[in-house]
Amino acid sequence: MKRIKWLGALLACATATGQSPVSDSQCSYFGAERERFVPKPKGAESDSARLTRQFYAQSTRAGSPIRNRPYQGTQASSNLIDQYIVADLQKNNITPAGITTDYEFVRRVTLDLTGRIPTTAVVTQFVASSDPNKRATYIDSLMATSQWVDKWTMFFGDLYKNTQSNVQVTIRPEGRNAFYKYIHDSIAADKPYNQMATEIIAAKGTNSFDQTNGQVNYYPLGIVGGGPSQDIFDNQTANIADQFLGLAHVNCLLCHNGAGHLTTLSLWGGQTTRLQAWGLSAFIAKTYTHSIATPKDPNNPNASYNYYSLDAYTTDYALNTTTGNRPPRQPLGTLKTVTPDYLFTGQTPASGQDYRTALAQFVTSDFQFARAAVNYQWAQFFGVGIVDPPDQFDPLRLDPNNPPPAPWTLQPTNAALLNALAQNFIDSGYDLKKLQRLIVTSDTYQLASEYNGTWDDSYAPYFARKFVRRMWSEELHDSVITAINTLPSYTVSGFTADSTVYGVTSPGFGKISYAMQAPDVVNMPDNGGAVSQLLDTFLRGNRDDQPRKEEGSILQTLGLMNDNFIESRIQATGSGATASYVTNALALSDQQLINKFYMDVLSRNPSATEMSLVAAQLETGGAANRKNNAVDILWTLFNKVDFVFNY
Amino acid sequence: MNEQEKFDKLFRKYPHPVATFSQKPHLSRRHFLNIAGTGVTASWLAGNLSAAAPVITSTPVQMQNKAKNVIFILLAGAPSHTDTFDYKDIQGTTPTSFSPDTANGVMFPTGLMPKLAGMMNQFAIVRSMQAWALVHSLAQTWTQIGRNPAGVLGNVSPNIGSVVAIEKNADRTPSQVFPTFLALNSAGAAGPGYFPASYAPFKVNPTNTGLKNTTNPDGQTRFNARWDFLHHLDDPLRVNSPYGTPLEDYDEFYTAANGMMYNPVVTKAFAYSTADSTAYGNTSFGNACVLARQVLAANQGTRYIEITLGGWDMHVNIYAQNQLPTLAKQLDNGLSQLITDLKTAGMLDETLIVMAGEFGRTVGKLTGAAGRDHYPQQFAFFAGAGVTGGKVIGSTDALGANIVDYGWSRGRAVKPEDIESTIYSAMGINWTTVRYDDPLGRGFYYVPNSDQDIYGPINELWQ
Repeated sequence: MKRIKWLGALLACATATGQSPVSDSQCSYFGAERERFVPKPKGAESDSARLTRQFYAQSTRAGSPIRNRPYQGTQASSNLIDQYIVADLQKNNITPAGITTDYEFVRRVTLDLTGRIPTTAVVTQFVASSDPNKRATYIDSLMATSQWVDKWTMFFGDLYKNTQSNVQVTIRPEGRNAFYKYIHDSIAADKPYNQMATEIIAAKGTNSFDQTNGQVNYYPLGIVGGGPSQDIFDNQTANIADQFLGLAHVNCLLCHNGAGHLTTLSLWGGQTTRLQAWGLSAFIAKTYTHSIATPKDPNNPNASYNYYSLDAYTTDYALNTTTGNRPPRQPLGTLKTVTPDYLFTGQTPASGQDYRTALAQFVTSDFQFARAAVNYQWAQFFGVGIVDPPDQFDPLRLDPNNPPPAPWTLQPTNAALLNALAQNFIDSGYDLKKLQRLIVTSDTYQLASEYNGTWDDSYAPYFARKFVRRMWSEELHDSVITAINTLPSYTVSGFTADSTVYGVTSPGFGKISYAMQAPDVVNMPDNGGAVSQLLDTFLRGNRDDQPRKEEGSILQTLGLMNDNFIESRIQATGSGATASYVTNALALSDQQLINKFYMDVLSRNPSATEMSLVAAQLETGGAANRKNNAVDILWTLFNKVDFVFNY
Repeated sequence: MNEQEKFDKLFRKYPHPVATFSQKPHLSRRHFLNIAGTGVTASWLAGNLSAAAPVITSTPVQMQNKAKNVIFILLAGAPSHTDTFDYKDIQGTTPTSFSPDTANGVMFPTGLMPKLAGMMNQFAIVRSMQAWALVHSLAQTWTQIGRNPAGVLGNVSPNIGSVVAIEKNADRTPSQVFPTFLALNSAGAAGPGYFPASYAPFKVNPTNTGLKNTTNPDGQTRFNARWDFLHHLDDPLRVNSPYGTPLEDYDEFYTAANGMMYNPVVTKAFAYSTADSTAYGNTSFGNACVLARQVLAANQGTRYIEITLGGWDMHVNIYAQNQLPTLAKQLDNGLSQLITDLKTAGMLDETLIVMAGEFGRTVGKLTGAAGRDHYPQQFAFFAGAGVTGGKVIGSTDALGANIVDYGWSRGRAVKPEDIESTIYSAMGINWTTVRYDDPLGRGFYYVPNSDQDIYGPINELWQ
């Protein structure tokens, strides 16, 4: 109870003055409580004393000024995330980490929102600013950039698995590019997410190469071969359920009843039948996704190219298969076909209504759609979803007012928060920017990864600290080129130039410099060359059977240490107009050079200890060695773990 | 300091008996929660099994247990079976240059693959194999993971090589620096699925200069100085890291990478000489075979090597000189020399060589484009590890279109799942194993439906 009072006191003062850190001259409430914050010279150290001592001790931590303030979230916070998170922290007597310093914050949020590190100019300006709302202001400025669009285009490209060729099907660069353009332009236009989902699920079109209608490619990407068309409907349904509802178990149910298979995995799944899952797949049954051969290319008559069209079948989902990728589908009693039935609500299409238009309505108006969407976003910003993995939702274990029967527990680590976030998302008009703003302006998001005290893994579900994450392949590429400010120019095969073969003209998108501008993850950005091979070692996946992963590998560290991509940028070569980054830096004093390297690469200043170590290194062997030493120091900074990790 | 001293210093620093390429399994899975993407269960969040050792079940089976290592050759694109290892002489179609000859009742195109023709008593052929699907990438993945990639666990199922790697992890010693699972010329090799990254195929393309990025462009002296300074500066963030254990785990990859740099053992194993390249046919495939032999001979922890030889998808002009004859010759030169050299080195008896495409090709007369199209009937090739040389299992009709004799105890077409079972059996791995650490919690079966004994090893290969 003392802890709660203390936190409440601190918050009351913070909101009263709007400044931090709190001093007792600004806050009358503190007067009575003041003596509690003076460290006691002997006897057991109280919690508050310890926290205060650590709070001030952070002023000497490497490279950064004092942490802005201790975590101040309470149930009275204006940020709904903080309200729920703090409630749980208090209930479980868990102390969270402190708030990030300005340096930590600006680097993290720039990486998270725009996929690259901030420039030195940006960091310097941000840290120097005395605007009490500078974090929120900075967030808004990031969201207005084209980099923000590129990052989230990549994110949704991953989610929808947009790639020119997967294990089952080839939609070709033209199809992939059209879908890329759809995603990119939708994000750029701040399209409400329910509208985007509707346009995808209810997509209409007969030409997958058409760049004004790229979402048509969603269905071809779901094709499976070697079986009847019901296998295709099922796979497309499984994709929709996974990506828009977070329900991967629908895929299981399209092979067999949940009973005996999902019984221990999912309370909902264990009671759901294959027939009910067919009711979902039946929404797709009148869609005929098929390829059409393009006109023969006279210069290449043996080549055959296909584009995709969404046409119509006339019959409902038939129970008449014995072969293919899934177990036989046979009549159930007199039931020989299945008509659409959205099993979560029992809704069915209106008479004469297009099935997928109906499905889009039912899905996007389902509360689970909002939950899944916010949870996928949460998982990206926090490293783990409130439900994790984010496609393993159990619909019967999500309501804190209606908890499941023992031994089942509520599935989300904070069920009330998840529902509140989902409702907030709906109320905002499914606005992605507003959701992200809510997330990154929260104290919870802004907690440091450094934890004072002994961390226990059991604290993790409460998001009591930031979980570090390794940079994406694209973020690594874009951060290296930003640090050294040498922008490559890539001619991406199948993307850069107009494509006019096959009798269809698909406009190109021009050369790119940043990996985050690529429309795909395979062979990007140099068509499978050395840069692409390096980026592959950072496990960006293939948008098919290999998801993006954050795991480490030996090939990654060999690359960071020795690959030409970084090595070529750290050399001290040239002079005058051709002077390289390091050559130019050599003209600076030791202090200036070291500060510049740290700011450009790590977005912070060195600590006093670091400065003295690095300065000694720079001077080793005298003036003749200074050039090589500078190169070696720059190499070292790129290989520090606080470069490749977002902490 | 010399190499041995370097290793000693390294492993004094990390005294726990964890081999270079591995993490502490399952405990590290919990750590990896912080840096793992979707697909790895946050077991304590899901309320499933604890993050301690997973439940693993199996039923007792009789295993061949003859092989220490596996070399798996994927003939990507799907070779024509009736022109190669299930040879059929089609009057008026098959080129006379293929010069079929019969040895021990087995017809073989000695003109197409003369060297392999001369060593038929050293390998076995399965002629009763059929593919499940005729789509290239689907079937290639199927062959490598031993199950339907479009099935529910397909996305998270590991390459057979990754299963071998995880099973043989305990055999690794601290001085061994090579990955357990090596993939040569196999950029598209199926990955480790839900298994940790240390069991992923280590993908390398052979060069005569050795493994990429194992030397620093600014030289070894500069590199060593950089390495020392890096740790001097950065160890506060790498050891007992204030930011969390993922940074400590990442440091292990730095350490392991350093172990492979400027390491003569690595350079020797991963570079081929001109003489060897010539002996193996002077092709990229031949070079990969050279590396495979060298890596196994180095005994540095590698137990499963996947090599891909692609280009077999001959829908057009299959008999043109630059088509089947050229590719078959590449195969002939590389594979025959590999078998010979392994035998000379005394390694053939402990190395299982498995070779297959993802399906077969149409039979009889050629198509209108003078080629052959996709067809489910195919072959598989086995050598080494005590496999009976000259053995042919199963047979097809005169055209090679249908099976007339299955040739093995299960009395049905051999499937990729049976090939998978055979590999595990040869390696002394119980193919009925089920691991309950998969992200869906439904149990990962090394061989699908092994509880119902649907698939199994082809024991006839050793009879």
